[in-house]
Amino acid sequence: MKQYLITFRSVTYAQRGERSLGGRGISGSLSRTPKWMEQQGCGYGLTLRGANIYRAVDALRQDGVSWRRVYVLENGKYQEIAL
Amino acid sequence: MIYLDNGATSFPKPPQVVRAAEEAMVRAANPGRGGYKAAMAAAEIVFDCREQAAALFSCKPEQVVLTANCTHGLNIAIGSLFGDGSRVLISGFEHNAVTRPLYARGCKVKIAGRRLFCWEELLDSFRRELRQGVDGAVFTHVSNVFGYILPVKEMAAECRAAGVPFVLDAAQSAGSLPVDFGALGAEFIAMPGHKGLLGPQGTGLLLCGDPGKPLLFGGTGTLSREKTMPEDLPERLEAGTVNVPGAAGLAAGIRLVRSLTPEKIFARGHGQTMACGRALEEMGYRVFTGPHQAMTLSFQGKADCEEIAEALGSRGIAVRAGLHCAPLAHESAGTLEKGTVRISFGHDASPAQTNALLRVLREKPEG
Repeated sequence: MKQYLITFRSVTYAQRGERSLGGRGISGSLSRTPKWMEQQGCGYGLTLRGANIYRAVDALRQDGVSWRRVYVLENGKYQEIAL
Repeated sequence: MIYLDNGATSFPKPPQVVRAAEEAMVRAANPGRGGYKAAMAAAEIVFDCREQAAALFSCKPEQVVLTANCTHGLNIAIGSLFGDGSRVLISGFEHNAVTRPLYARGCKVKIAGRRLFCWEELLDSFRRELRQGVDGAVFTHVSNVFGYILPVKEMAAECRAAGVPFVLDAAQSAGSLPVDFGALGAEFIAMPGHKGLLGPQGTGLLLCGDPGKPLLFGGTGTLSREKTMPEDLPERLEAGTVNVPGAAGLAAGIRLVRSLTPEKIFARGHGQTMACGRALEEMGYRVFTGPHQAMTLSFQGKADCEEIAEALGSRGIAVRAGLHCAPLAHESAGTLEKGTVRISFGHDASPAQTNALLRVLREKPEG
């Protein structure tokens, strides 16, 4: 089961993302993002476990929720992926 | 006490508002400042408040900025759009929360519509001023003194057609009249959280169609290395810790308004306002009522307005007298020297309130 992390510019956008995905049956867990991911300071993200990341990103696009980056957890490390 | 000063604030607060604010103080920390349970609970409370407001006013949650009151929101809006020398069109019924920030920023203020309850005169004058050229407009939805509902849909349409940005002051309308952010097309709509939305004092909302310019600068919990405020709303306009108990209470208040519906709240309040006005006229008072009346009315008697209000207060009837922080509105109506006594009904308006007021006035008509 793959684990993804979508990061956002603010807690408000992360919450908008959580609602957007939740409305489509995609559950995400809201949390602070690791420090190294946010060069500009603190940030928030949604962790998705076993979700279809393409469907999730499409949902965010449709709802006009902008995100910063998408990461996938591989071998215990987050790697940024381009979508 | 019979409370008829809802134009100042709603009182007493509904039990669910009190409970929500109290609970927030026990379980919520600082939103957007941590990932632990109490910080996330605070973030959830604040976002819930934004969602409730967005649903009531037809906008997105991130367009809802939490402010300390309506005046705070108006100051952000006016500071975002206007500066020294800006030509700004206002109505003749504005509160000091509109006029003082404009004068403080060196704006050239033009006034349209000085006749109470006369939409035709207001719209003619408003169109004429727009044609002559202005940089923006700021106008109230409802006069806080007279309960005069301004034709804001028409004024908004005129502004949009002329390409003029505008700000709506919904201090006396939010919660009892339709305020559709998307349909109006305002740059900003400012409102208190503690009046018609039934939230705690010290809460307000600014609906933003424009990124705006911050009035305060400081921490937002994110993008901390940047030397400037974030570009994104709502954090851009919310430096420092927001009022979490206030947001919790306000969310509960908006939920209640949505369940009662603004239309029904208005129908009750308006009905009592008009009944009260008719009875006061029969008793010989000078009553300011008209065809576009909300849930507030002003009246004058033979005695000083403050003496009438004091006499009512001593008999358990809470009303407000004086100029109501709106000297321009009084100047327009010709009541600047004497002031008025203001009665303003709330979501709980009832014949019992009207009857209690009238009974006291019949016993001691002039204090």
